Amino acid sequence: MMNGSHRKVAPKEKRFHGGEKMETYIQAIVNGFLMGSMYGLIAFGLTLVFGIMRVINFAHASLLMMAMFLAYGLCQVGMNPYLSLIIVVPVFFGLGYVLQRTLIERALKMEAGVREPMSVLLLTAGLLVLFENLVLLGVGPDYRTAKTIYTGATFKVSGIIIKTAWFYGFLATMISYFLLSSFLKWTWLGQAIRAAGQDRDAARLMGIDHYHIYGVAFGIGMALVGLSGTILVPFYYIHPAVGWVFGIGSFIIVILGGLGSTAGAFWGGVIIGLIESLGAQFMNATWTIVVVYGVFLAILFIRPAGLFGLKFEW
Amino acid sequence: MEKKSGMKKIGVMIAVTVLIALFVVGYRNGALHAQTREVLVGAVFPLSGPLAPIGQHLRCGADIAIEEINQAGGIKSLGGARLKVIYGDSTGDAKVGVTEMEKLITKDKVSVVTGAYQSGVTLPMTTVSERYGVPFYATGSEDQITERGYKFTFRSNEKTSWRVRDQVKFIMDMGRRFNDPVKTAALVYENTAWGQGAHRDWLKNLGEAGIKIVIDESYPNATTDLTPVVVKLKAANPDGIFYCSYVSDAILLIKTIAEMEVNAKAIVGLSGGTADPNFIPGVGKSCLYTFDCVRWEPDIPRHGAKALCEKYQKRCGVIMDTEVMKQYTYMYVIVEAIDQAGSTDPKKIRDALEKIHIKAPDPAIKFVEDELYFDHTGQVFKGSMVGVQFREIDGQIQRVTIWPKQVARKGIDPVWPMPKWSERKK
Amino acid sequence: MRFLGRGMDWVTRPQNYLGLGLVALLFLFPAFIKSMFYIQVMILVIFFAYLTSCWNILSGYAGQLSIGNAVFVMIGAYTSTLLFANLGLTPWIGMFIGGALAVFVGILVGYPTFRLRGAYFAIATIAVAEGLRKIVENTERIGKLNIGGAEGLTIPLLHHAPFQYQFVNKVYYYYIILILMFVGLYVTYRIDRSKIGYYLTAIREDEDAAQALGIDGRKYKLLAISLCAFFTALAGSFYAQLMLYIEPSGVGGLSLSIEMLLLGVIGGRGTILGPVIGAFCLVPVREMARTYIGTTYLGAHLVIYGSIMAIVILFLPHGIEEPIKKVYFGLAKRLGPAG
Repeated sequence: MMNGSHRKVAPKEKRFHGGEKMETYIQAIVNGFLMGSMYGLIAFGLTLVFGIMRVINFAHASLLMMAMFLAYGLCQVGMNPYLSLIIVVPVFFGLGYVLQRTLIERALKMEAGVREPMSVLLLTAGLLVLFENLVLLGVGPDYRTAKTIYTGATFKVSGIIIKTAWFYGFLATMISYFLLSSFLKWTWLGQAIRAAGQDRDAARLMGIDHYHIYGVAFGIGMALVGLSGTILVPFYYIHPAVGWVFGIGSFIIVILGGLGSTAGAFWGGVIIGLIESLGAQFMNATWTIVVVYGVFLAILFIRPAGLFGLKFEW
Repeated sequence: MEKKSGMKKIGVMIAVTVLIALFVVGYRNGALHAQTREVLVGAVFPLSGPLAPIGQHLRCGADIAIEEINQAGGIKSLGGARLKVIYGDSTGDAKVGVTEMEKLITKDKVSVVTGAYQSGVTLPMTTVSERYGVPFYATGSEDQITERGYKFTFRSNEKTSWRVRDQVKFIMDMGRRFNDPVKTAALVYENTAWGQGAHRDWLKNLGEAGIKIVIDESYPNATTDLTPVVVKLKAANPDGIFYCSYVSDAILLIKTIAEMEVNAKAIVGLSGGTADPNFIPGVGKSCLYTFDCVRWEPDIPRHGAKALCEKYQKRCGVIMDTEVMKQYTYMYVIVEAIDQAGSTDPKKIRDALEKIHIKAPDPAIKFVEDELYFDHTGQVFKGSMVGVQFREIDGQIQRVTIWPKQVARKGIDPVWPMPKWSERKK
Repeated sequence: MRFLGRGMDWVTRPQNYLGLGLVALLFLFPAFIKSMFYIQVMILVIFFAYLTSCWNILSGYAGQLSIGNAVFVMIGAYTSTLLFANLGLTPWIGMFIGGALAVFVGILVGYPTFRLRGAYFAIATIAVAEGLRKIVENTERIGKLNIGGAEGLTIPLLHHAPFQYQFVNKVYYYYIILILMFVGLYVTYRIDRSKIGYYLTAIREDEDAAQALGIDGRKYKLLAISLCAFFTALAGSFYAQLMLYIEPSGVGGLSLSIEMLLLGVIGGRGTILGPVIGAFCLVPVREMARTYIGTTYLGAHLVIYGSIMAIVILFLPHGIEEPIKKVYFGLAKRLGPAG
């Protein structure tokens, strides 16, 4: 069957003709940038938590999935997905705070002297498996789609098609980036968080209850996860395993951009988005993820601190 | 000392009694089994995971067949023995399908197994049935399933190569009829056994038809975003888009094509997800004027088909589709074989399947062909396809059979080429 | 005679004869249980015990937590299968070639990544494993060689062919994996009780201090990953011959790597019997859950795995090996003196 000399095989024509090329590339770049910014948003929470507590939250992906389900549920009862943020974000802030203070804090305390708390990593890995399968047990494995007014909606800017939901996601990313930066820079709480992140003992001496601060930081991280999940709902399949799609990517983005740097997370996300979108024009789309892994490993070996990261002891 | 030997004696007596009791019970159980009026059949479907909807529907359809068979008196040659199906869940995963089949054969001791909807899952399962010598009434269209010289695999599903051959013929016929032929083609397919097989067959059939392939893109099964692929499609501007996807991917692909406004003369699926009852609700108006190529449609006039469709819709909640119809007929063929074998012995059932010849009217005959028998490889002798277009009729999106002429629905003319996205109301 | 006396002495100690009894039970299992289904379950239990023990060499003893070990399973499975399907080379030899190839990849990967610690290394292993898996998944053929891509490869069916590592009766596979497990345990035992073990412990606890004492951290970690890779690849070939079908997500997938992580951490990293205990306690749970609860309560067994993992981390960070060891020795004491 496979010795193909006498079989007629359809010849493959050259791919592109002339001026359409430019428009296609611009379309791909726009898509990649928009999607990439959302990847960045998803990674904000992860990088913040690491920057402050030196903790890699392996459960990040499953928490994103849970946020999507919550937002989805609210959409199904008729709520506008962006309005549902009013509920989802505070709920996830609270969830984050509780999670930190009950479970993660305990694991942190156990390895207080150690540089890299492996216990937290393993704990969150266990939580990842637990959360994903609890949801699976609860709602079943089916793929769900939210029927929102933004689903499938697009608008055109000089011939380039822009998906409405993607654009709103991009806006959400920019807004949260500026809000977060301002919060960390100008508010007392924000500065306390940065202080606890830099030197927890010194912070304690200044009267900062660093475990409470950690709780707040983790809560903010989770709030960002809640936001990310919500903006994905208008155009993504919702199912218990959806976290995996973003999970590995989030870690790559965070390390690529530099652990602890939100600007790094943003640009890391954009890079990944562009590789996926633009790369697919030159190769089969299934290979773009291999390129992403390759770039990631290269950065890890050459400049492990990432693009914006500080060279600290890791 | 005295006490100890006394204790020992009692111990021995108890042990002997227990052993005798076990022996008797075991013997009686064996005898009971021989009289058991139940024939066990295993069925592996994707009951959970991304293909869960079709898996659950397959199960529902199979249940209807089993009920009918048992109500009609069960297996006559075995004294009216009842048919019992034990279901396994492949979760859409090949290795799980394999372990489920092992369990059905080794633990549940079924006489026949059927399944598993996906070619990628069915293919490795054939090795299990061959190893244990239990007949496997396979579904899935990948050619290799019946091309490996296995003795225990049977299939009345159409082969992918037949599907593609008819699909290309369908599109060529349409092009000729409307004087607007397809000259360039894009291929978009999922990358498991099914898609890879379709890919090979497309290269062959489209090549023979003189059609140039401008895009050749495989994507990972159960993908989440096809935008980059669709952007590529748009840039290549093909006349025909041939795709091969399971339901979630099919929905995603068509929706993205609509969003990105990719125009073409024809967008045509290859059964699978496009034929899934969840496709239309999932994709909405975006599927209008696209095509599909399947083995069965309600438009094919067969005795009992209409009543069955109504029964199915009432009980299972969705319109009957080609895959469920196939599975329904498989149950009847299996029962026919067991009946002819007059035994629950897997090897005898296998021999019966080899020789079986069913003719219309029979509940198992629902497709274009009037009869059913297998060739020496265990493959059904023929499997013709029909062509379908998605149209809006009385406010409802329906699949309308438009090819070949003998089974085309009267009163609806095909629309060719597909109208441009900008011309359609959003 | 005196030697015999000593031997008898050793056997009569309860902690030893209990252990011997368990080992004997394992070897005699197929004599009591004839159902192919339960033998298959035990094969999977022992398979995971072996696999996790190999993982333990790298992630437990060497302290480099790996969530990408499945890549070695994949290399082993694909190497022996491709050599068999294309050159007719018996998998008995092919598996060692797979092992060698795995070692090569392990060293290639380990060399640059070992200076990463903790989470960085773990994520790097994920990237490597997933990257390689994706490459295999995307590649249908290399030239004339059929790799299978996402479709996977089927091992040509020979029914009963002992020299080609194929059997119809599962009992053969049972004994093969059982022996493999004991080999793995022996290797772990030798590492644990040797100089290498001490060096690895030193490196694991504080690499800089160890470095200052003149212990070449990288060299020993490369040794650990080589051993881990080699033996894990053997398991890959075993799996291929057992199932007669391999595909990238099954033999190289993230879920397999995570399973090793879960079992190893719950069992007890850096201990000889931890992984085995973890596997023997948890894998039957998974199989039984899948068989009896199965479709009704999907994911139930993983909920159990995940919660046990979280509980163990918080309350028994060294795994369940410790308390089980206590129970075992407590039982031994109660059975008699010389405990």
